[in-house]
Amino acid sequence: MAKISIKKLCLYYNGHQALRSINLDVTDKEIMAVIGPANSGKSSLLRALNRMYEIDYARISGEILLDGMDIFDIPINDLRRRIGIVFATPVVLPGSIRKNLSYGPKLHRRIGKAEVDELVYNALKSANLWDEVKDRLDDSASRLSGGQQQRLCIARTLAMHPEVILMDEPCSGLDPVSTAKIEATMLELKKDYTFVLVTNNTKQAARVSDRTAFFLLGELIEVGKTQKIFTRPVDTRTDDYIRGRFG
Amino acid sequence: MDRHFDEELQNVKKKIVDMAALVEESITKSLDALKNKDLKKADEIRDLDHRIDKFEIMIEDMCIELIARHQPVGRDLRFLIGTIKMNNDLERMGDHSVNIVDCIEYVIKSPPIEQVTNIWSMAKIVKEMLRDSVQSFIDNDAANAQKVCERDSVVDAMRNETIRILLTHMLEEPKKIESAIQYLLVAKNLERIADLSTNICEDVVYIAQARVIKHHAENEKA
Repeated sequence: MAKISIKKLCLYYNGHQALRSINLDVTDKEIMAVIGPANSGKSSLLRALNRMYEIDYARISGEILLDGMDIFDIPINDLRRRIGIVFATPVVLPGSIRKNLSYGPKLHRRIGKAEVDELVYNALKSANLWDEVKDRLDDSASRLSGGQQQRLCIARTLAMHPEVILMDEPCSGLDPVSTAKIEATMLELKKDYTFVLVTNNTKQAARVSDRTAFFLLGELIEVGKTQKIFTRPVDTRTDDYIRGRFG
Repeated sequence: MDRHFDEELQNVKKKIVDMAALVEESITKSLDALKNKDLKKADEIRDLDHRIDKFEIMIEDMCIELIARHQPVGRDLRFLIGTIKMNNDLERMGDHSVNIVDCIEYVIKSPPIEQVTNIWSMAKIVKEMLRDSVQSFIDNDAANAQKVCERDSVVDAMRNETIRILLTHMLEEPKKIESAIQYLLVAKNLERIADLSTNICEDVVYIAQARVIKHHAENEKA
């Protein structure tokens, strides 16, 4: 069974239809890349998956199932714990690195210092950040570099023990070294988590994802194994886009 | 639009077509030299082969650089991979052309053999196959490329027929064995050139339609 199953999903906001009858399954513990030009609907899709579109007063029709359960039947806090999100610009909370990581779990339940320490260690270790920050956990998170801040955001998401991690252009403002570290982190975490990666960087999709979905003007044009999409795409629009010949 | 990259791809295409023209010239001249038993042409063929080798290195460098700099995907990736393989096939054809011219010296020394007309018929088809395979590459025409592939079996049959004729000569007049062996080698080299033209056409189908037709891959998949 698919981890996430999207059926006939349409999304509208401000009289504009951003998604047009999307049918797409995301398999458990895979990295699904979503690519497409501006206004293709890829970020709208991401925002639909953990109901963030509600903030935009958008309206949807169709179904989104998480492990077979309609996401509208899952309490919103529970849903957003199970489906975490990492944004293009790293948004660290004011306060220390440690506080950034313990803030979310503490909202959900009471936890002791020992458990916080363990949680901080595990999250930072999994996000490939532990070795770089272990001696300054009580320093302000805002003093970290851009790449480190983004990995802290990934760690913060991991601290909530999600099942799915949505990534919206996670490396858009980062240098190649930081980008490589985030990609390595994703590949290591894939054994435990399911990723949906929205990216404008088609080369990144080719490097890290198992499958790739190409969106255009709110429609899903083609989805398939990444190796096939980047060597033998079926649709000429996909071929034009991945080769940078669009428009 | 990545116009600069497109121009560079077109430049690679132009170079490989120039290289193919040299290969065709080399094969035509080596066969003419064999027909006229003209040893003086040998140096000219070797010089052509040297130029073909230089083309091979240059085109390979261009393709590697484009792959490294642009990380091509889709049709662009297939084009560059196909071109690298075609480059190698053309260079091998140049070597076969030299092999043919190398036979002339022995043919001159040995008693002449009549009825090697089969060789010239075979050579005509092989040259047409090369020309048509390059044309299908230029036109990105998979249908035409597949038609060229079909002619490979005709060349194979002609090679077998040539071997049969030459064996008869050898059995009837052992003093003609040396000459007959040389023509046998020529037939073998021509057959290899036809195989390499077929390879090029298989690459054209891959570039144009992303289909793998070599080794009957499509039939096995079905």
